[in-house]
Amino acid sequence: MKRRNVVRVGAALLAIGISMPALTAAALAQDAPTEITMLTMGNKPTNGRLEAMLEKLNELLVQKANAKLDLFYIEWADWQTQYNVQLLSGDDNVDLVATATDWLYAWENAEKGAFLPLSPEMLQANAPKTWAQVEADGHWDLTKLADGKIYFMPEDNYTQYTNHGFFYRGDWAKEAGFENGEITKFEDFTKYFEWVKANKPDAYPWDVAGANEAALTGYIQGHTDFQTIQGISAGNYTPFHTTAANPYTVTSWYMEGDALIEAAKLAKQWNDIGVWREDALNYDGDTREELYAGLSGTDQHHTQTFVNDIVNNLSTKQPGSDPKFFYWGQENGNFFKDIFTHGAMAVSAYSKHPEKALQVYDLIRNDKEIYDLFNFGIKDVDYVITADGKLGYPEGYDSSTDSLGTDYWWGRMDEFELPRTTQAPNRAEIIAKLDATAKDYPYSTLIINKQNIDPTLAAMAGVLSEYIPQLQYGKFDDPAAAVAEMRQKLKDVGYEDARASIQADMDAWKAARGL
Amino acid sequence: MLLLMCVPAIIFFVVFNYMPLPGAWIAFTNFNYRDGIFGSPFVGFKNFEFLIKSGQLWMLTRNTILYNLAFIVLGNLLQIAIAVMLNEVRLAWFKKVSQAAMFLPFFISSVLVGVIAFNLLNYDTGALNALIRQTGGDPIKIYSTAGAWPLIIILVHLWQSTGYGSIVYFAAIMGIDRSLYEAATVDGASAWQRIRYVTLPSLKPTFIILVLFSLGGIMHGNFGLFWNLVGNNAALFQTTDIIETSVYRMVLAQNNFTTSTAVGLYQSLFGFALVMTANWIVRRINKDYALF
Repeated sequence: MKRRNVVRVGAALLAIGISMPALTAAALAQDAPTEITMLTMGNKPTNGRLEAMLEKLNELLVQKANAKLDLFYIEWADWQTQYNVQLLSGDDNVDLVATATDWLYAWENAEKGAFLPLSPEMLQANAPKTWAQVEADGHWDLTKLADGKIYFMPEDNYTQYTNHGFFYRGDWAKEAGFENGEITKFEDFTKYFEWVKANKPDAYPWDVAGANEAALTGYIQGHTDFQTIQGISAGNYTPFHTTAANPYTVTSWYMEGDALIEAAKLAKQWNDIGVWREDALNYDGDTREELYAGLSGTDQHHTQTFVNDIVNNLSTKQPGSDPKFFYWGQENGNFFKDIFTHGAMAVSAYSKHPEKALQVYDLIRNDKEIYDLFNFGIKDVDYVITADGKLGYPEGYDSSTDSLGTDYWWGRMDEFELPRTTQAPNRAEIIAKLDATAKDYPYSTLIINKQNIDPTLAAMAGVLSEYIPQLQYGKFDDPAAAVAEMRQKLKDVGYEDARASIQADMDAWKAARGL
Repeated sequence: MLLLMCVPAIIFFVVFNYMPLPGAWIAFTNFNYRDGIFGSPFVGFKNFEFLIKSGQLWMLTRNTILYNLAFIVLGNLLQIAIAVMLNEVRLAWFKKVSQAAMFLPFFISSVLVGVIAFNLLNYDTGALNALIRQTGGDPIKIYSTAGAWPLIIILVHLWQSTGYGSIVYFAAIMGIDRSLYEAATVDGASAWQRIRYVTLPSLKPTFIILVLFSLGGIMHGNFGLFWNLVGNNAALFQTTDIIETSVYRMVLAQNNFTTSTAVGLYQSLFGFALVMTANWIVRRINKDYALF
């Protein structure tokens, strides 16, 4: 070969050598990013902030995983009706599915095949940080069905309490005669309600709407040692329980004891006082806004809502209202710490890109830059960091119109969370106090085989949905007779068979653990 | 070529009525998403058992049929009466305005009807009770009084549908041979006699066909109206729960597809039997009036 040709070949090879990385990069860049859709719960914001955040987030996701994320919302008005239907539809446009074992039917949907089983290898390869953290904490067992497969990734590294109770106004309670405006017994709300009824003619003592059983469960939890077995629902009710004294015997507070009757009698007394609207069952207004507007003396939800929203909003909108929280089981310590699967993320069985979906989830959960963007929005636009290191909001920010609304409750991490200027100032104290007395939920790994009892649960749901709302709102003239009638109907539709079936699962679970 | 006009209707029925039929198999399975409709375990009539055990079957069937009978009988009678009366009115503008006024409720969404009803009837702030209070009376707890709702629901249904339904009868009246009326007038028939002996007999075929069509849907309630008027008010279920509202609660609020499909299948089969029976009876009376 002539020298000139050698040089030419050499130059060509050099050129190819130099340009290969560039060519590879160009080829990769030409691969369109994978579109990942996350099904989440909440009302999709319309203020444009979500879209602005997603644009920035997707730039990062393209860089780090060559993927883009979109959110698919099941709105609050529909969540009890649309969530399962969406999963049933087999929509292959959804990749990541927000779920929970205690309120979003995670076990039922896993058993019915809505979620993709996740192997350790798949998780290690695509969600390595999530895998390592959950593994280190020993929590994967909480996400497995009897087949031993993992069905979702738990939100097991985030501190919160979602124990329910009453939000009420300390200023009104003080005027009603409660020392420091503190109510410490469930029945004492009668006195508070009576005072509100007599002294605040524009307000309902407790403006409550639609299906609700707080007046019953709140009483029962504080007066008995019944504890609910989660994950066995009959419609909107969880009708099977144990007692702390007898933790491996399945029973039901709907069926046993006098507590339900006493609670129903108290509810009737409250109804007679006019604590709620006479037609609360047909009312569908926003009762929280009524509380903020000074038109309701009480609202009902959990600690997390109290510390994050109620304290700030109520204090701001009703200056001097001194927001207080009374939680169910406060009197006797009969309440539980949050379970680690109160929030979780599953991969849809119909996802076309399960690996990529896991990669995106791993980034959202563990990459601080992406976590901050996804949870808090664009810095200095959606949020600010205050001089004392808290997460605050820019001048003129109004949470009712300006919030980001990603509603990410499916893998938050304590290490990335900052105290917020809008949180109750004594949040840490509240959490510490709850930590000191709350019980650990004992049945996190108990999974009930519902195949044989599904029709019975459907029939029980029918009975409960007829009686419980009426007992809650004190609509029966004789609550004791109504409870007796309901119990008979529950027996007729097969309560005992269902109980026996669940007891058998409980016995096997107990034996397997040597309890 | 004329048959081509049927194609859209045929496509509609094939897609929405025949293709989903195999899905009824869910009612006999313990359905799971993984195995699908035909792969899920077969459980026979287990999904139907709860309906009988819970006593819901009788209540739902009774409510659904009674409401529909009231809608069909009262609805058709009222529609005929309105059409006949309007036909007798000679003032063209009055006729047009009345028809428009009666037609209008048909276009009001059930959601809005529900909101209007709540604002009229609720105990605390409803217009009716406000009036009663102001006149010194005791307000009525309408949303806790199950007995009041059949009347309310039937009235609202008639209010919504009568104007629309009367158009069909009005058109049928327009089609009656004018010479019959002229002959009756010549014979000295009064207005009432013309109605009694000419108009009403001429409307009979229309009436029977419309009733038979309505019977076809006798197991189907007016879901939107019931749901928006009553909602999830358990205090009223005894008199207001119809098959559709019950299925809706089951499939959506209770995440139970198998049992709700079972109820839906029962609804269809029972409705089918009813239509066949009604058609058989009509055919026995007068073959020309039967649908098939």
